[in-house]
Amino acid sequence: MTDKLIYLWPEVTLFITTCLVMVLGLSPQAEVRRLCAWVSAVGLTVAAGLAANGEPDPNALLPNIMPFAKVVIAAVGLLLLMLLAGTVDREYEADIESGKTKFNPLRSNRAEFYSFFLFSLTGLMLCASAESLIWLFLALELTSLPTYIMVIISTRGAKSQEAGVKYFFLGALGAAFFLFGFSLIFGGTGATHFDDIADSIAANGINPILTLGLLISMIGLSFKIAAVPMHFYTADVYQGAASPVSAMLAFVPKTAGFIAIITICAAVGWNYGPNHTSLPEGLRLVLWITAALTMTVGNMLALRQRSVKRILAYSSIAHSGYMLVGVIAGPGPVGGSFTSNGLAAVLFYLLCYGFMNVGTFAVLASLKHADGSEADDIDDIRGLCSTHPLLGWSMVLCALSLLGMPPLLGFVGKLGLFTSAISAGEYAIVIVLGLNSAIAAVYYLRLIVTPYLDKPAEQDVLRVEKVGIITRPMVAVISAASVIGLVLVAQPLIEASSRAGVATRHGDVHAVEQAAALRDDINEPRP
Amino acid sequence: MLEVLAQGAFAEPMASITLAHYLVLSGAMFVLGLVGFVTRRNLIIMFLCTEMMFQASGLALVAFARYSMNLDGQTFVIFVLTVAAAEAAMGLALVVLLFRKQESLSAEVWNQLKG
Repeated sequence: MTDKLIYLWPEVTLFITTCLVMVLGLSPQAEVRRLCAWVSAVGLTVAAGLAANGEPDPNALLPNIMPFAKVVIAAVGLLLLMLLAGTVDREYEADIESGKTKFNPLRSNRAEFYSFFLFSLTGLMLCASAESLIWLFLALELTSLPTYIMVIISTRGAKSQEAGVKYFFLGALGAAFFLFGFSLIFGGTGATHFDDIADSIAANGINPILTLGLLISMIGLSFKIAAVPMHFYTADVYQGAASPVSAMLAFVPKTAGFIAIITICAAVGWNYGPNHTSLPEGLRLVLWITAALTMTVGNMLALRQRSVKRILAYSSIAHSGYMLVGVIAGPGPVGGSFTSNGLAAVLFYLLCYGFMNVGTFAVLASLKHADGSEADDIDDIRGLCSTHPLLGWSMVLCALSLLGMPPLLGFVGKLGLFTSAISAGEYAIVIVLGLNSAIAAVYYLRLIVTPYLDKPAEQDVLRVEKVGIITRPMVAVISAASVIGLVLVAQPLIEASSRAGVATRHGDVHAVEQAAALRDDINEPRP
Repeated sequence: MLEVLAQGAFAEPMASITLAHYLVLSGAMFVLGLVGFVTRRNLIIMFLCTEMMFQASGLALVAFARYSMNLDGQTFVIFVLTVAAAEAAMGLALVVLLFRKQESLSAEVWNQLKG
């Protein structure tokens, strides 16, 4: 166990930061309480630095996934932290400052809010280092349990409580599903370590209990990535939570879910199918159907929404479907490049999605109505390019990138998904992906045309104004700059993700064949 | 030693209980939990249904652990119990909060968000 510790320093750092923040946030001095965000930022930066210098783990099924995934998590985490700053306790702190009330640790939510955010990121990083089913289960739970509370305390209104109750109950249901799936995977292979599971499958093949376990755990994990059949909660929860928290929900649990799916698929192995590069038929079929349905349902439902947050929620569902295409494509031939490696495409797309999606939510989070309510309706961003040019153009750029417009980051990400699926011979799902990208253009164009071409709302209509938190527009601008800027440095990022997407067991085709031959030998009656 | 403990301990009538019995019971608990979650509208009952689904997994894990002589499965159950306790603490706190707000435990009163 302790030999694994050298890979876990980023998590340890984040955990220590979490404990520190939890205490700092309860201090009676306002200056100390304000340190929470700064300490979190320092912790995340240190974790990112440690992760960037992290060694690949040669014994893992995906040896290089850890450093890449953890750097991406810490980078998007920093962006999310800037966006989340000032979400809770603003009015309360103002009251304390004006002397209306005294600081009461029981009423303050600041400590919980920041530390739960860091807990969630710790869990996410632990998912990337998971080496057994137990570890993966605990990491997934550590990722999602804090998010339930963050949704509830993100605003004081009844809407976020409703969002919280829906999220919590469906989250518990999803957890029960993937736990039952994990227990059947354990039953089918007699092992919890992914290495041993891979060995057992190579030696004994796939059995019905294992297949059932894989199927049920995929259903459970589809809750985490917001995919059909567990996508119902997404729109309600994203709309009910405060915009910064919705941005977090669209990135953190989704990344955890995808890392878990990739890890489990790597344990089962990409040794099947005609070219010995695909997943076992049952699992491939389930992922195929999930991907196709998720894209289509997400995009279709997004078409008829008026709330920008609901549009983004359904777009988040659709993007999960896109990324599943990369999982279906698999890591491709050994030594292949980025264009044939579906796992690299998924990991790279998670990075792209993190930036562009946080950007759109940051624009919404930077706006509010005169009465203090959140900007959400599509009318609220009407003519934003002329009233608040920076925010308006950030929205336009991020929406263009989500749409997959050629020079922007989203295009580079989507390209990898397309090419890897084509090189894996999955033409049908590529057609579904192409059609869905076209449908998605309709609602993304609304998000582009409304701020850019439409006239701003009349003065007597409830106008939107900027919130007084400087970091939120900054996040919007940084994200918009990244969807252009990261394209310029896309080459090293693509190389890093190609390295991260290498699966070791994949390609040892012969292990399966040898095992099958061995079984035949044993079964044949001895002369 | 482990084999002796595992296979030798049962008295005669118990010896006929196989892995399949445990799995059927565990599957039944899981499905009952799922059906309860979908059909009932009381928040506490719904929460207990998810707990039952968790325990179904726990039962399957113990049975499999013994069947395959790999105690990792039993370790897993300890962790599952811990997580279930954490989730229960959170779930019940949440239910209390919601009850204060709406004076009702029905899931139906939470219906503002739709579209």
